[in-house]
Amino acid sequence: MSQHKINRIKELPVERLGIRKFNFKLIVHITGILLTWMSISMVLPLAVSLHSHDGAQFAIIASALLILMAGMLLRNILGRNPDYELKEMESYWITAIIWIVVPICGTLPYLFLGDMASFTDAAFESFSGFTTTGSSVVPYPEELPPSLLVYRSFTQWIGGIGLLLFVVAIFSNLGLTSRQLFDAEFSGTQQRRLHPHLSKSVSRLWRIYTIITLLMMVLLLVTGVPIVDSICIAFSTVSTGGFLPYHDGLSMLSNGSLMVITIFMILSGISLAELYLLITGRWRQMARDQELRTYLGLMFLSVAVCSIAFISVGNKPSESIRYSLFHIASTMSSCGFYLPKLGHWSFLVSVFTFMLIIIGASAGSTGGGIKIWRVMTVTKYIGNYVTRMLHPNAVICIKMNKKVVEKEYINKIFAYVFLYLSFIVIGAFVLTLCGSSIPDAICMAAANISNLGPSPLINNLGGDLEYAMLPDLAKWTITVLMLAGRLELFVLIAIFSPAYWRRR
Amino acid sequence: MVEGALMLTCLIPALHFDDGTWQAITVSGLFTFFVGLMLAVSFSHHKRLADRHLSYLLVVLMWVVLSVFGTLPFLTTGVTLKFSDALFESTSGITSTGATIFSAVEWIPASVLLWRSMTQWFGGFGIVLMVLALVPSMGINRYTLYTAEASGADNSNEQTKSMAATIRRTLGVYVMLTMAFILFLWKSGMHVWDAVNTTFTNISSGGFSIYNNSLQHTTHTQQYIISAAMLLSGINFSLMYDFFSLHWERLHNKFDQIRCFIIMLVASIIFVVIALRFNMNYSWADALREGTFQTISVITTTGSLTADTSQWWVPITFLFVMLSLCGSMAGSTSGGIKTMRVLILVRNVRMILRNRLHPRSVNQVRLNKRPVSSHIITNVMVIFLIYVAVIFCGIMMLMLSGISATESIGAAIACVTGYGPGLGLSGGFGCYSAFTPLAKFICSFLMVMGRLECLTVIVLFTRAFWRRR
Repeated sequence: MSQHKINRIKELPVERLGIRKFNFKLIVHITGILLTWMSISMVLPLAVSLHSHDGAQFAIIASALLILMAGMLLRNILGRNPDYELKEMESYWITAIIWIVVPICGTLPYLFLGDMASFTDAAFESFSGFTTTGSSVVPYPEELPPSLLVYRSFTQWIGGIGLLLFVVAIFSNLGLTSRQLFDAEFSGTQQRRLHPHLSKSVSRLWRIYTIITLLMMVLLLVTGVPIVDSICIAFSTVSTGGFLPYHDGLSMLSNGSLMVITIFMILSGISLAELYLLITGRWRQMARDQELRTYLGLMFLSVAVCSIAFISVGNKPSESIRYSLFHIASTMSSCGFYLPKLGHWSFLVSVFTFMLIIIGASAGSTGGGIKIWRVMTVTKYIGNYVTRMLHPNAVICIKMNKKVVEKEYINKIFAYVFLYLSFIVIGAFVLTLCGSSIPDAICMAAANISNLGPSPLINNLGGDLEYAMLPDLAKWTITVLMLAGRLELFVLIAIFSPAYWRRR
Repeated sequence: MVEGALMLTCLIPALHFDDGTWQAITVSGLFTFFVGLMLAVSFSHHKRLADRHLSYLLVVLMWVVLSVFGTLPFLTTGVTLKFSDALFESTSGITSTGATIFSAVEWIPASVLLWRSMTQWFGGFGIVLMVLALVPSMGINRYTLYTAEASGADNSNEQTKSMAATIRRTLGVYVMLTMAFILFLWKSGMHVWDAVNTTFTNISSGGFSIYNNSLQHTTHTQQYIISAAMLLSGINFSLMYDFFSLHWERLHNKFDQIRCFIIMLVASIIFVVIALRFNMNYSWADALREGTFQTISVITTTGSLTADTSQWWVPITFLFVMLSLCGSMAGSTSGGIKTMRVLILVRNVRMILRNRLHPRSVNQVRLNKRPVSSHIITNVMVIFLIYVAVIFCGIMMLMLSGISATESIGAAIACVTGYGPGLGLSGGFGCYSAFTPLAKFICSFLMVMGRLECLTVIVLFTRAFWRRR
């Protein structure tokens, strides 16, 4: 038995009494490990840079080294020999700190290359990357060096699977149980675990994620996309991020590549656990999942409605259907890719899109939004409620996937939805302070808290709008919204709530 | 029946001003009166309204029928010839919304103007009566919308009172307030005719005005008096009764709502005043007066204006939209989600947060120091979400009927909450006359939905409702 395990057993009774101090060292230690890994992962952009001779190699090496040094410092000096014990509180702290520290370190390449005018811009871009939002302050990404483009999309790819899965992986190495962390990342969704062993289910999630990304890269290459672009697009799609190497959406790609992207967008809106079933061939089990069915059903319905709406305002049928399919897939999975707009726009599509932005993707996927699972539960409960208004003595319970949903849990979901809407309202209010019009502000807040990023909706309602032109306060507001959406609100609020700081 | 009698009272100004509309008003008044009488006679043997289905239907029908008959004066006097217009105006009156389709109000005959104001006065009273007296006595309080107010979570003494006593008290307070404010306004130099109309529309949180520019022409003193009237319209009536009958110890029962309402109001006023002073270069006195007036007008969902708020700074507009969504206290004449519900929603979030941070602690949502039962919390949650969903559907339908995005958002929220002026052309001193007939019908429907807090109306559209029992 290793030394730290013995320590743990010794300290157990004291810990039960709640006397133990806040385990700050462990948090520092873990952040350090993560930063070390992050600097190692910069090998990929470096390779691209060396391959394409874009002159960005020194900036990347410099930032990688800086991050490595910071990581070493945190891991081996400040956070040396930590106490390997984690409480609920500390797991929240780890989540929040990692999600703030890593994107801030991620600004370094942008800053070193001098492409960003200010730290605000770099931070916006970096947070937008790690939270898989995809809102960009770069008006012409073509002018960036290819390695930086890859780096941008790569941050999304890391952010998509969730930085915490890294941590969980580290933890299993350290011999810690880290279920809370897993739950903090996928909170409140009764996530199906792939394997009774947490570390194994995490490694499976990783494997699926990587396989899908590689598959997509290959398919894109086959349909004729240049290699750097296909790497970028695959990273951005699978993580439902939305950074693109082009300034005008995906208009220059062939129909075949668009088809590939659409399919992978739809896939990335599905829970990773379901995708695992798909890959391992257990289709019947997969088809039984209610959330998946609702996701596909809702998608089909939306595509139908939008196509009809587009056709009715005078677009060509084939174009309308193609555009609707792409647009809905991009919105529901919260990818945020866009094509050049159709000649005639329909307001119905705007409203429908807004609804889909808020609903978002399946729980356990890389997408954002309130999540279909929660929306389903809420809708079922309201239907149930109306029936009970008429028959007050009836006992009806709500079932999801044939399991009864507890009342406590429903209350939590309701509270989540309420919080989500409040965040949008508050965010939109601050954005109006910065000079946006009301519909624009609401759409921007919704699109960013749902980690969607660019949406034709924002342009449609308020004329031309680019994130680059917003004032700094607006950029920081949006950054907070992105982070809140990615961490599913509770984690962020928990840290900043007075209830947390009250003496225990 | 009551409505018919009310219409007949409109004869007084008609005869007084001799504007030649008295025949028309008489006809519609008598017609409504007799229809009401017939209905009352034919249903008088139904002593009890124990049936839950029937009571939902009744509540909704009450508002719809009143609105439909309310169109008669507009149609018969020829003020407007389109049914959609008349229905919009009448519904807006009965639900005390205050959205109008008349771009020029001043040429409308006096009798019709009084009728407009009166529908609001009556409608405002109707909703208070329904929440405080009718619904608890119908025995449908366990799963209704008004649960939070009626079931004793809020004030346990309410249920022990008899229905007649509640009606008497509410009516007493309402009439007294109306008289008092008519007197005040008259004393402050307003013409009696104006004073009566203004009081009627503001004490009921309605917002119709008999002038094109709403209340911009009034003096500063009068504006403060009207602000007070609007403020009172946002306060729970049994609270006011307790206050005026000097039962001050009972105010503790609603302490939380009062505090929340005051905090929200004061914070918003401060923000608006500062924004007006520094962003729009008002003088301090003007900013204070306009800010106070408009904020109270919004939070009580009245919709009276002393300035063209559609031209104000965008964040103020946004704040106003949100305030009108929150609304003021339950059991008042105002619309919106109501302070108490907002309070419960926020406290519930706080409780869940605490539970997550301290999983082994026992937490409760408390209101006025009493725990709130979980079914009330879910009730509030459901109402909140339905409210949002209805507004959303409203926006979608309005957009489909050809209204622009901003206008639709403004109109849907203004109609559901009962505020009145929307955004864009329909906001400020503007009116809804540019809307298509379909959009007007949608708006009318939304107004009724909002007034009855959505669920009552939605129940009627479920399959379970019409299934044979």
